[in-house]
Amino acid sequence: MRRNQGCHQLDHQLARRQFLAGAASGAVGLGLLGSPANAEKIKGQHKRVLQLYLQGGVSQLESWDPKPGTEYGGPFRAIPTSVPGMHISELLPYTAQRMHLLSIVRSINLKTNDHGQGRLFMEKGRRAGEFPYVGSIASKYLAPANSELPGYIHISTRGLNDSTAAFLGAQHAQLKFEGVKPPKNLAIPKGLDQTTDARRVQLRQQFNKQFGRGRTKSMTESFDASFIQAAKLMGRKSFFEKPPAQKDLERYGTHDFGRNCLLARALLENDATCVKVTHHGYDSHAENFNFHLEQLGEFDKTFAMLLDDLHERGLLESTLVMVYSEFGRTPKINVRYGRDHWGTAWSIALGGCGIQPGAIIGKTNEKGTAVADREVDAGHLFHTYLQALGIDSTGDHEIAGRSIPIGDPTAQAIKELLA
Amino acid sequence: MNLRSIQRVVCLATLIVAVMDLPLFAEVPLHQQIDSLVGVGNEQFEKNASKPADDATFLRRVTLDLTGTIPSVDEVHAFLNDQSTDKRTQLVDRLLASPEHARRLQYFFDTMMMERRRDKYIPAAQWRNYLRTSFSENKPWNVLVHEILSADGTDEKTRPAAKFLLDRELKAEEVTRDLGRVFLGRDLQCAQCHDHPNVNDYLQRHYHGLNAFLNRSYLFKDPKTKKASIGEKAEGLVSFTSVFTKEEGKTAPRMLDLPEIADPPMPKDPYKVKPAKNVRSVPVYSRRLQLANAMTNPTNVAFQQNIVNRLWAMMMGRGLVEPLDMWHADNPPSNPKLLNLLTESLRKNKYNIRLMLREMALTKTYQRSSHVAKDAKIPEETSFSVALLKPLSPEQLAWSMMQATGLTEKTLHSLKAKQSKADAKKGQKKTEDPQWQEEALHDALSRNVTAFVTTFGIVGAQTSQFDASANQALFLRNGPLLQSWLVPSKNNLTARLKKLKASDQIAEELYLSVFSRHPNKMEKAQVAAYLNETQAQSNQGLQQLVWAALASDEFRFNH
Repeated sequence: MRRNQGCHQLDHQLARRQFLAGAASGAVGLGLLGSPANAEKIKGQHKRVLQLYLQGGVSQLESWDPKPGTEYGGPFRAIPTSVPGMHISELLPYTAQRMHLLSIVRSINLKTNDHGQGRLFMEKGRRAGEFPYVGSIASKYLAPANSELPGYIHISTRGLNDSTAAFLGAQHAQLKFEGVKPPKNLAIPKGLDQTTDARRVQLRQQFNKQFGRGRTKSMTESFDASFIQAAKLMGRKSFFEKPPAQKDLERYGTHDFGRNCLLARALLENDATCVKVTHHGYDSHAENFNFHLEQLGEFDKTFAMLLDDLHERGLLESTLVMVYSEFGRTPKINVRYGRDHWGTAWSIALGGCGIQPGAIIGKTNEKGTAVADREVDAGHLFHTYLQALGIDSTGDHEIAGRSIPIGDPTAQAIKELLA
Repeated sequence: MNLRSIQRVVCLATLIVAVMDLPLFAEVPLHQQIDSLVGVGNEQFEKNASKPADDATFLRRVTLDLTGTIPSVDEVHAFLNDQSTDKRTQLVDRLLASPEHARRLQYFFDTMMMERRRDKYIPAAQWRNYLRTSFSENKPWNVLVHEILSADGTDEKTRPAAKFLLDRELKAEEVTRDLGRVFLGRDLQCAQCHDHPNVNDYLQRHYHGLNAFLNRSYLFKDPKTKKASIGEKAEGLVSFTSVFTKEEGKTAPRMLDLPEIADPPMPKDPYKVKPAKNVRSVPVYSRRLQLANAMTNPTNVAFQQNIVNRLWAMMMGRGLVEPLDMWHADNPPSNPKLLNLLTESLRKNKYNIRLMLREMALTKTYQRSSHVAKDAKIPEETSFSVALLKPLSPEQLAWSMMQATGLTEKTLHSLKAKQSKADAKKGQKKTEDPQWQEEALHDALSRNVTAFVTTFGIVGAQTSQFDASANQALFLRNGPLLQSWLVPSKNNLTARLKKLKASDQIAEELYLSVFSRHPNKMEKAQVAAYLNETQAQSNQGLQQLVWAALASDEFRFNH
């Protein structure tokens, strides 16, 4: 039982964490600034999204909104960050040194404690109904027409398959990667060589040419485009199979999340529009502190390295970074040292494209039990993400004869967060 | 009276006689009335409209629309060789009477009503069985919907019908929205919190009027049996506040702008079964039971318009109102007279779906080619002067591919043999029964259908747009399922092709099996050229020839 560790060991690990935090702070400023050469590259880059989804509900108290020394604060301390006056949990020492690239929203109230409802609300910006996910919207409005990759790629190691595109259509639905494994059916069928494969595809096009004469093209074009996209993915098969460089693995970590984030980086570098990486396992009803120690321990350094790389490559200015969950965790600690579901007062972190860095939006009360200032919900956040990306979220989707408001018309963006 | 006026009188008299005579010769059939409203007979229209589809195209189209699969090679031969003048009518009637037709409608209406959502309380198999049985006995649409909206899940006999409400857990935002969309053709979702921002006709009171039928109902889970059913309270009003204007409103149950249905005076004891812990409460007066009546009431024209519009879209590829659930003043029907004709006829024919589909299939409008003549401009989709392409549903695609590759026939053959062996006495006779065949085949091959639904099915809102994704193309291109059907085995398509020597024969067999038509000269030459090139590896050559045809646009669409 790896997760069910005794107190002694917890103490031991804590000490180690403190050491690491100290070591990291020494590195501030080195290699974190974008080089001027990269600035040129940014121009003309299309906007994109990196979503890091901490599935299950990360504890705001053990991450972005620590309350050390209070009734529900838990055992961890708050540490200073690269933004003067901003403190986050000591479980995120690497991230703490990069907070000048990020901002925190501490005053989210979703009014739901249900995994499914919270997740859908955070993705769709609506409490109910068939609406597209942020990733599908990005795919629809941001992906270049000649894109080499599908607009919305989700790297995850588990099931959950939603209808993410709603009325935006199948081509904007998430293409799911099971970890770093390439998508299904990427390889030519057994027994077929390249020549035969190329010939059959050519034959297919020959059939189509005759059929297309004197007929409307829109539907056949969409069908044919899916084959072109499939071929592009197949052409990049080696890209999925290429093992990451040892140096990168050392920095990101050899665990699944490290590998998945390396793949995310590669995808973003290759002009993917929205890449979502799910880090599973934050539903800590028991042993919340051990859980977070371990989970965030894995998350922190990997995320920090990814952030560094995007920044150094000049990608951060065109990439919206979202670190989010479906809700947070109860301030009250239950009898199993766990924290339960809590959509009432929790936090997320945002950064990159269109986001004012180094800001803290809203706050919770002293014990962290309620929002004390600037309450927002997923509807407001949704407008914020989209406007950061330059999408007018108050406009409409114009789909096949219907106009559907892109964001919830009763919610607005968090203006002070927009750069 | 001059000569001209005499003529006029005579003409008038003839006309009156003709009109009065009409009932004796029976009314003009609905399909002809439809055609004349679309424009048939109008010189200008006829000039631009595309020609009638040939027999092979018609056979493929109508077999797909009415039975959900392409025809077999034998059926193509038989139909093309049939010399009778009314063979299209005969075909339509034969298809409508087949067990496959009930299955096709089961798929179609299941997708329409449940939108491929995951199972909650009523197993999909029971619900689908209920739908299929209903369609095989041609249950009128109003009767079917009445059953679906009045079942509460407590009676085992009617329980499957409760899936629409139960699997949505009686959640207001889901049930109300879907009642509006699926049965009334109006997506009132945005009118939940305020009058619709873009659609002037969609008011908050419409949404809440529908919601008021159900706001007293709740999902009841029996602690003993664990079964879910619908309970209801005797009280509860619907009031709403606009999030924009803060205006407040109240409404009793109502269908859009039809009058509110007032509650009767509350009796002293308002419950048949009182609410208590672990008890399903049943009021004396049920608002929920008013829903089925109000929905299917003859005054509810939206209900009738919605179904004829959906059946029209199923057959013609596009609704008279499109999107199907965006019915409002700024999005009027493209042909209001035609819509009225269809709606009236539905009422007159007692909500007979089969009859409606029959008449649509017999129209010249339906039977037109999807090709426009050389140099002609492609006309507006709303004119219905050219047949529109219809993407095959996941189920149609699966069954058609299994039919084309010979898997269907091969499987049926072995199912028959197995049955005959297992039951020496009656087995063979049983296997001749079309109903037995349909069900046995369906059970044997349903996993393949599921694989297609998983890849091509879209959960949630139906749109008329066609969208294809990279996953779908990869599934077709490289997926092991389709590849396995291409391997020569017994008497399947590639095995049959392998036995043929001449490339002309191969082209014939391929085109009849996959495209349900003969190839033309150029197409034969194309097949010959391909075979010539791939001779060295003829095994893969033939398999990939079949693949290219199956993955082509011509196969992907009903045209």
